[in-house]
Amino acid sequence: MNSDTDLKIKNLRKSFGSNKVLNGIDFELKEGERVVVLGPSGSGKSTFLRCINWIEEPTSGEIVLDGVRITEKNVRKMRRSIGMVFQHFNLINNLTVMDNLTLAPVKLKLMKRDVAKKRAEKLLKHIGLLDKANAFPASLSGGQKQRVAIIRAMMLSPEVLLFDEPTSALDPESIGDVLSLIRELASRGMTFIIVTHEMGFAKEIATRIVFIDKGKIIEEGAPEEFFNHPKTPRVKEFLKKVL
Amino acid sequence: MNNFFFKIGELFSTPGYINSLLHGFLLTIQIAYFAILIGILLGTIIALVDTARPSKWLVIPKFICRIYTTVIRGTPMALQLFIMFFVIFAIKGFPSIITAILAFGLNSAAYTAEIIRGGILSVDKGQTEAGLALGLSRKTIFMKIVAPQAIKNIIPALGNEIVTVIKETAIVSMVGMYDLNMAAKDIGSGQNMASYIVPMFVAALFYLGIIYVITFIVKRIEKSLRKSDLRAEK
Repeated sequence: MNSDTDLKIKNLRKSFGSNKVLNGIDFELKEGERVVVLGPSGSGKSTFLRCINWIEEPTSGEIVLDGVRITEKNVRKMRRSIGMVFQHFNLINNLTVMDNLTLAPVKLKLMKRDVAKKRAEKLLKHIGLLDKANAFPASLSGGQKQRVAIIRAMMLSPEVLLFDEPTSALDPESIGDVLSLIRELASRGMTFIIVTHEMGFAKEIATRIVFIDKGKIIEEGAPEEFFNHPKTPRVKEFLKKVL
Repeated sequence: MNNFFFKIGELFSTPGYINSLLHGFLLTIQIAYFAILIGILLGTIIALVDTARPSKWLVIPKFICRIYTTVIRGTPMALQLFIMFFVIFAIKGFPSIITAILAFGLNSAAYTAEIIRGGILSVDKGQTEAGLALGLSRKTIFMKIVAPQAIKNIIPALGNEIVTVIKETAIVSMVGMYDLNMAAKDIGSGQNMASYIVPMFVAALFYLGIIYVITFIVKRIEKSLRKSDLRAEK
């Protein structure tokens, strides 16, 4: 197995009925990389992310993580290595914060309940929400929910984290809290892909920017290069509008 | 008015009358109880088949479930009861209570299935996606995440359905069964009290009483299920 490459995606395509959302995406991600995916709305950014862990089953193409191709058979196991953070947090409403964190590790028999609980407490303490351990998600603010969702993904120590617009549903104050948590993960060498509209954050955090339009990657590169010297007219136009 | 209260006293103090009423009430409860049980069991199965992800094994079962709920919900209960009595179970000596239970149970199953289906579908898709992303199995996602949230949406409507079944059983008097409704009519007839208003008034109280109790229990269950919606303090 090639230990230097985490994730290889070849000719990924996804259609919903006759609507072709992804039109052949080739993408590689190496350990320690932080890729920010940009693009206009409806370009397929979220679908791209959701196909990586098969929340949306790809129509064709392959996704290979650490040399293992994701298939219908192994997808559940593979998902343990791919953490995901959603735009709308998706904390389990009927479970307390603690149970949200421990459900998967305990159910998947990766940790004993008390070990999982200890780890959850440590992570909660770290984000300053230990006092919310027994609260239900409904009583948390958006920013708190999203930070819990992030540490929930971290509970399984994934190799890659996928962030699907993690701050788009938050108020400005909460955005800062969530971004600084992501920033911290970055400083610890976490590998991740993030779809975001926070341009400043993208510039700051990314090791690479990928621009998707109409279901294809049309430009990618280092952040300075991408933002200061965009090559394609489409990206130039996009940057003129958003910056 | 005095006569009315006098007659009520007469009804309650005449063993023949009050026993008839209680017998009728017992039959009503029996039919409703078992019909609701069948309705919930069969309704759950139908709802699970209906909401299951499409697969080639389920094409025919899904089709059957759709036809079933459409036909049952699209025809009058009284007609279904007649068909059960005079066509399907027109067997001499076949216990009419079983026929009635099946008629109401099979009818209620269609409505209960729709209630449960709606409850399951009302759970945000993001909840399932979160479970998938964590590597949980479909079964775990259903049992630990979807079902507990669906139940919260199901209970109020299911309570309503239970109440409906209890009241609807009154039409068994149309096939000559001696339920609470029939008992009231019998006691009120000329050969007995020669006053319909009194036994029917009392029968109404019986119906109201049992329905009040059920509504109360459902409200309690609803309240206890709302736990995770409240601001939780430890």
